[in-house]
Amino acid sequence: MKQGRSNLLEKDSTKSVLASLISILIGMVVGGVIIVIVGLGNPNLGIKGALDGIRLVFFGLFSTGRVDNALTFGFNSTNMGDMLFRATPLILTGLSVAVAFKTGLFNIGAPGQYLMGTAATLMLALGIPSEVVPTPVIWVIAFLGGMLAGALWGCIPGLVKAFLNINEVLACIMTNWIAANLVTWMFEGSNFRNLVENTKSGYIYKTTYNGVQTAKLGLDKIFPGSQVNAGIIVAIVMAVLVYILMNKTTLGYQLKACGANRHAARYAGIADKRNIVLSMAIAGSLSGAAASLYYLSGNTEFFWSTYQSLPAIGFNGIPVALLAASNPIAVVFTGCFMSMLDIVGMQLTNLTAYNEYITDVIIAVIVYLSAFSLVIKMLLNGRKKHKIQAVPEAKAAAAAPPPDNGGTAEGKGGDGV
Amino acid sequence: MRIMEAENIIEMLHITKEFPGIIANDDITLQLRRGEIHALLGENGAGKSTLMSVLFGLYQPEAGEIRKNGEVVRIKNPNDATALGIGMVHQHFKLVDVFTVLENIILGAETTKLGFLQKKEARKKVEALSEKYGLKVDLDAKVEDITVGMQQRVEILKMLYRDNEILIFDEPTAVLTPQEIDELMATMKEFAKEGKSILFISHKLNEIMAVADRVTVLRKGKYIGTVDTKDTDKQSLSNMMVGRPVQLQVEKEPAKPGEAVLEVEHLCVPSKSHKRDAVHDVSFTARAGEILCIAGIDGNGQSELVYGLTGLEKCSEGKVTLCGHDISHASIHHRGGDMSHIPEDRHKHGLVLDFTLEQNMVLQRFREPRFQNMGFIKQGEVRKYAETLIEQYDVRSGQGPVTIARSMSGGNQQKAIIAREIDREKPLIVAVQPTRGLDVGAIEYIHKQLVAERDKGKAVLLVSLELDEVMSLSDRILVMYEGEIVGELDPKTTTVQELGLYMAGAKRMGKDGEGA
Repeated sequence: MKQGRSNLLEKDSTKSVLASLISILIGMVVGGVIIVIVGLGNPNLGIKGALDGIRLVFFGLFSTGRVDNALTFGFNSTNMGDMLFRATPLILTGLSVAVAFKTGLFNIGAPGQYLMGTAATLMLALGIPSEVVPTPVIWVIAFLGGMLAGALWGCIPGLVKAFLNINEVLACIMTNWIAANLVTWMFEGSNFRNLVENTKSGYIYKTTYNGVQTAKLGLDKIFPGSQVNAGIIVAIVMAVLVYILMNKTTLGYQLKACGANRHAARYAGIADKRNIVLSMAIAGSLSGAAASLYYLSGNTEFFWSTYQSLPAIGFNGIPVALLAASNPIAVVFTGCFMSMLDIVGMQLTNLTAYNEYITDVIIAVIVYLSAFSLVIKMLLNGRKKHKIQAVPEAKAAAAAPPPDNGGTAEGKGGDGV
Repeated sequence: MRIMEAENIIEMLHITKEFPGIIANDDITLQLRRGEIHALLGENGAGKSTLMSVLFGLYQPEAGEIRKNGEVVRIKNPNDATALGIGMVHQHFKLVDVFTVLENIILGAETTKLGFLQKKEARKKVEALSEKYGLKVDLDAKVEDITVGMQQRVEILKMLYRDNEILIFDEPTAVLTPQEIDELMATMKEFAKEGKSILFISHKLNEIMAVADRVTVLRKGKYIGTVDTKDTDKQSLSNMMVGRPVQLQVEKEPAKPGEAVLEVEHLCVPSKSHKRDAVHDVSFTARAGEILCIAGIDGNGQSELVYGLTGLEKCSEGKVTLCGHDISHASIHHRGGDMSHIPEDRHKHGLVLDFTLEQNMVLQRFREPRFQNMGFIKQGEVRKYAETLIEQYDVRSGQGPVTIARSMSGGNQQKAIIAREIDREKPLIVAVQPTRGLDVGAIEYIHKQLVAERDKGKAVLLVSLELDEVMSLSDRILVMYEGEIVGELDPKTTTVQELGLYMAGAKRMGKDGEGA
């Protein structure tokens, strides 16, 4: 009986995984096509450049540079470690969006929650005197403070939705920009601004200025030369906790019931309004945690004058969650995939004549097409007879939208770091 | 044989359609003659809706072919079906809630000039149609604000608007009043006279006998047979459908009413769309051991009365006492402590369609220590409980407890709700149209359950639009008209005609005769 069930579940989850892999592949193939087109149109690149580009798109993570004008590949600890480091906030914003999706809400407010988390974390990490309080304690306070700030910021669209029936997407977008301006205002004139090191202007101190930094836990030994730290472990633990919350607890059951059918939930005596607010608060706290872990790493700086841009990490949580079909465990892997694309982008810029802009476009196309996993899954669920016909159709459909990826690219451009 | 074929406007030959874990249609053949009314009869989950969805292009069959006028056609989607002149009124309406009635009717078949909507012409055509067939609707009302019965009319008008020649009615009479049903029957006969061909899915043997020329019977996905209505009768049709002799009459002992369970005094519930109250100054008492029925034509405040009792709507005035406690302002959760509720709209209020059957079974009970420990759900207990209910109440589904509720047939969804609500063992059961859209087998079952609960000493408050059900099941009848209770009748001494007069507002009792 139990076996029968797990078999069925496996069937469905296998399909989800397969769908995500296929869409990733489609994305990378289309990315490769763009590389070839750009390469052939650019005398600096040519066929050889295009081939190098394609190899980097697929195996950029294992690139070890150039020897005698030829790309070399192998285990690259810096790339691996950096991938995990960059994946940390993406996993958490991905979880944030995924939790909201599971409860029937679209949390496009992750960037705002991320910014509020950033502000709270930095103020706590830099503001609490480390002569008085031990730095690990400050770390914990700053981390929890970031989560709390994100949660409170997430509550706002939740409250507005629950009590005034205003669409959460609208409220989220507005709170994003309020957050961007609020954070700029809070830091402007504050003494958290880094005026000591004159090399850069407009940044807040690194948390290491106050001696606060995420522990490495030996990960720097496994991946020497990279920025990796224990944040990735925290992120994975949180993914597992979210999975348990959503699938094993009565709270998760209530949240999902409200999301799937608010009327039936209300009718069964579940407090629908409370649960909508709670969903958004949990989502917000995860985005806040993303910011905390990113800025507590000690080697990242926050550009405080952020009123004109929203952090891309917040928006990138959306494709991370979509590609993972909102499964919290899968988010860990899709988060890593997204950060791998970042690494690939850097390799492309550093090792070939593709400039960073075209790289951004290619990466954006891959991200965009990866989000088609739901469509692919629908096709997989369709009849087998249709399968053969349907895949080329999907490709055609997938190939059409790239002009739209301006949104994604813009999001990337807005990265404050 | 050749002549026979030419007669058939639509032929569905050897259709097979499978879903995970279930063969919904197993080699089914259906031949629809030009200008006939052909009824499709079968229990819930027999595959009627699936077969019609295949004809309408919503599903692709694994095997078999569809012919129109003898030529093989492939219907890949509803647009193909529409192009072939096939129209369908679905059991669960396919309307856009936030659009007006008119917008819904013309949706997908809009008349445009240079890309602009020509609503005026459309309005004229719709008005003419609604006039001709007596399908009165407020064209400018939003669909979300009108009753289920009205929505049905919109669906029928939608089909008429498209000038379809093959009309599929998926249980069209479930929500209509007796008068409306008569009118619809006449309309259908008129359609047939005009040369349109009608496929009529119904569980109501009365209607089938009255209106259909031939009947095709399905059982558990298999084709049982096609018979002429003039060569058969109700009993043999229901036996064909269920596969065993069915009892068409409710058998029950006289009620032995006990203490008052639910007391309603001068209750008022405000209306969402009008200024006047949807429920005005309603008082009655429901006693243990009796089935009290609220009868009335759809839209006379019955739904709002139930919303007021269950807490979905706030009452503006009056007092509701349940088992001695004043619950006038209690939360839904609190009221649920002494009340089971089989809701009118099983998709909106009864089930979380994307949840599994077992998750739906504990929708109100997941907080009980039996099903959770420190906030963690005891999956094993939930599974065991769901399996017990499934077995005890014969809820059929593709994958048992882990079936997604959405994939189940309407009747089995309803059975699941009834299992859940009855098993909660509460002193009051509020059942709103509990047999809507169900077949005789399921109706027989649900009626027996409700009578059994009554005999166990529960108070049953039944809201029904079906006169047969009202007359056969209830121990006492209250008739609602325009938000007020206009009469209290004894089903043993009253007649359907008298009941009809009260329901239509033509007759009402004096104030002294009102209430309990």
